[in-house]
Amino acid sequence: MRIAFVGKGGAGKSVIAGTFARLLARRGEPVLVVDSDPLPGLTYSLGVESTDAGIPDEAVVENTEKGAPRYVLRPDLTAADAVEQYAVHGPDGVRVLQFGKIRDSGRGLMRSQFAFRQITAELPDDKWNIVGDLPGGTRQPFMGWGRYARTVLIVVEPMAKSVLSAKRLSRLQLIDDPPRVVAVVSKVREDGDVELVQERTGLEVVGAVPYDEALLEADRRGRPLIEEGPDSPAVKAIELLVDRVRAEEARA
Amino acid sequence: MKVAVVGKGGSGKTTTSAILARTMGRQGRAVVALDCDSNPNLGISLGVGDTETERLDAMRQALAEGEEEHAPGWAELMDRFGSDAPDNVRLAVVSRIENPEPGCP
Repeated sequence: MRIAFVGKGGAGKSVIAGTFARLLARRGEPVLVVDSDPLPGLTYSLGVESTDAGIPDEAVVENTEKGAPRYVLRPDLTAADAVEQYAVHGPDGVRVLQFGKIRDSGRGLMRSQFAFRQITAELPDDKWNIVGDLPGGTRQPFMGWGRYARTVLIVVEPMAKSVLSAKRLSRLQLIDDPPRVVAVVSKVREDGDVELVQERTGLEVVGAVPYDEALLEADRRGRPLIEEGPDSPAVKAIELLVDRVRAEEARA
Repeated sequence: MKVAVVGKGGSGKTTTSAILARTMGRQGRAVVALDCDSNPNLGISLGVGDTETERLDAMRQALAEGEEEHAPGWAELMDRFGSDAPDNVRLAVVSRIENPEPGCP
């Protein structure tokens, strides 16, 4: 499967993506988590040491051809090799590919970002399940950062700003060769929340993650939800989401 | 006074900004609320509604696409691109990413 989570900031993308990835890995699947947020967040939900390890400069060469990307992977390095070498090892066997985090030292991330885009575009389908987590808002999704995904999951809270952001993000259905675009309702508190999101975004809802004290506690402590509340309602709901997305991607 | 509100997604920046703006407006100041998020939602928190929040043109794009040689002054920008919100607040959107890039990069 190749999926990406998008949505308004704070909707719950990283917690859902991190938990989803680990649940999928526990079923014996090879999982590559693709983290294109320049701020840490997903690393907490996954339980990976917050690292600013990006793709090192020596992995790329400068490209002087006109119209081509400015930096490309070294010719002897395939996308699959780059993942083997540079994706960090996380719990349950997940691997995590990042282009690096912004630190106050201000090391540029440009080479690493070019490499990251190339790797996600060229990585063959046969080995990895890709679970992507994009930063909040429309910028990265609309600039093609989630184009590796066959299914884009918009995480939506049943709240006006989150719904409006989801409506904007649903325009991802308008690109050439579009992904399947669906919604996951987050922080569900009452009857009607799921229907509200469905009606107001026009999106098919494939999952509903309840408002859950375990999730808040995990967030407070900066710990993975799957470890803090393994039997919590939120984790149960994300398990159902894994089942559903797996079944639907297998059919496609 | 010029204030900028920043922070992680979902932490309450937009809500804080809107309450700051309307509170200052109620104290009798003329307030400009600038939405600098490319996914602009400040209109919702100020209370102008979904339709008006979506309708507002982003200043940066409108000026980039225009014919003018020089950007207009501050007052004219607010006049042309702003929208009245409650409590004497004038809302304007700086930039907006309207649509996804159509094809492959």
